[in-house]
Amino acid sequence: MTHELIVEANELSLAYRRTRHRVSSLKQTAIDTIKRRMAYEEFFALNGVSFNIARGETVSVIGRNGAGKSTLLKVIARVLPPTSGRVIVRGRVAPMIELGAGFNSELTGAENIVLYGTLLGRTPKEMKSRIEAIADWAGLTEHLDIPIRAYSSGMTARLAFATATDVTPDLLLIDEILSVGDEDFREKSAARTVEMMNTGCAVLLVSHDLSAVARMSTRAIYLSNGTPKYSGAPNEVIEAYLSDVHH
Amino acid sequence: MQVYDSSARQIPVVSQVKSIYENRGLLRLLVVRDLTVRYKRSVIGVWWSLLNPLFTTAVMYYVFNTVFKSKLPNGAPFLPYLLSGVLLSTFFNQSLTMGADSVATGAGVLTKVYVRPEIFAVSAAISSAVNYLIGLAPLAVVLAIYRKTPTWHFPMVLLVVFCMILFTTGLSLMLAIAYINFDDSRSLINIFLLALTYMTPIFYPVEALGPHTRQVILLNPLTSFLQIARHEFGNGAISTLRNWEIMGGCSVLSFVIGFYFFSRLWPKVMAKL
Repeated sequence: MTHELIVEANELSLAYRRTRHRVSSLKQTAIDTIKRRMAYEEFFALNGVSFNIARGETVSVIGRNGAGKSTLLKVIARVLPPTSGRVIVRGRVAPMIELGAGFNSELTGAENIVLYGTLLGRTPKEMKSRIEAIADWAGLTEHLDIPIRAYSSGMTARLAFATATDVTPDLLLIDEILSVGDEDFREKSAARTVEMMNTGCAVLLVSHDLSAVARMSTRAIYLSNGTPKYSGAPNEVIEAYLSDVHH
Repeated sequence: MQVYDSSARQIPVVSQVKSIYENRGLLRLLVVRDLTVRYKRSVIGVWWSLLNPLFTTAVMYYVFNTVFKSKLPNGAPFLPYLLSGVLLSTFFNQSLTMGADSVATGAGVLTKVYVRPEIFAVSAAISSAVNYLIGLAPLAVVLAIYRKTPTWHFPMVLLVVFCMILFTTGLSLMLAIAYINFDDSRSLINIFLLALTYMTPIFYPVEALGPHTRQVILLNPLTSFLQIARHEFGNGAISTLRNWEIMGGCSVLSFVIGFYFFSRLWPKVMAKL
């Protein structure tokens, strides 16, 4: 099969009940229940989203803030289960969503590489054999044995990026094309992201950078309040989105 | 090749346990992380985790032995009795609150990468168990001073440890949901834990209680855990078949119910985060 489907998303919806006013204490909940003030409303973060991504394709998702773009990424990344609809993802997923979540500041650089890589779904053994290569790429070889609380924020970001991108995934999930660190590393990391996108994997890209979307994607989806409004060729979808924004 | 199908049928509890087993590499890393952060990076190392139970024991020993001059009815020495109680109650409290905390604070990670949150609760319970086992060293010293010998089936204590892991993981998962949903649940649980500590015969003998109170105390599952552990240490406490039934039953029940409810409630909690 030349057109192997990596992602099949069918009528994905994510709904949850939320209270009209934010309640966050047991006391308030008890009072509200007694006074029968608990009013729920059904909120659709995603509503009937369907698309497929084949190997080698890049699908972009655009839309206003809060339109459900990041939620969609998280559903595909398996973090959030859809409340209805179905998603099938085949193969290894590399989620580039808020990198560095799971780092422990008390652990050394080397220990964090192993822990973070394992959290991202690889085995500790595999990660141990990659420590040197990852540190070398991030330019942190000399700082491997000190706790990362002594790192600067740029160093931490570099370590996270290098660890997260040390894979050949079948599906790449990108929440904005990141560029981290100083000027040198910025170019290096952006180049690596593009390089990964070009390995022939499937890519799901969420971005506000419309020129990047137009340049890189094979198809685009415009989400509005969780509902797909337009999908198709990137240029047409961007046009539809822009005309909505300007009205 | 790994395939994720959101509609694949998941049997609660079974699929969760299976997933923890499949991710045992991560589980081991998390336990090592907990222990490394606590021991290797602090100046007094292992002693740090013993400081709390040993200090508590010292204060209680002073208060109850010197001030109140309390005696155990069968003439058993008070210090080993007290220390074994404090160690087990520390194990319970630490495992429960650390487990709930690590799931609730781990939520930051859990909304970004796919990891079964139950692993965090299990790893907290296992590292608390390791702390408990380290605490048995000073207990052995105290037992030796009083010329007490543990029973020959002393390794049965490991069964108590295993049951405690099941018991506290189930509870901590439910507690984690409460932590995330309600900001004031933390202070409430502290009051509850304090009450539970006093309802466990840590510094008083069960025999000293009236028949009515004794029933209440014996219904507390922790009492059964403690009676069995003390019996194995040769502290003169009697452990009955009833104690074993309560310990085993409560552990399995807490584990199954905790995991089941967690699998139902977690997706709803996550969507709001």
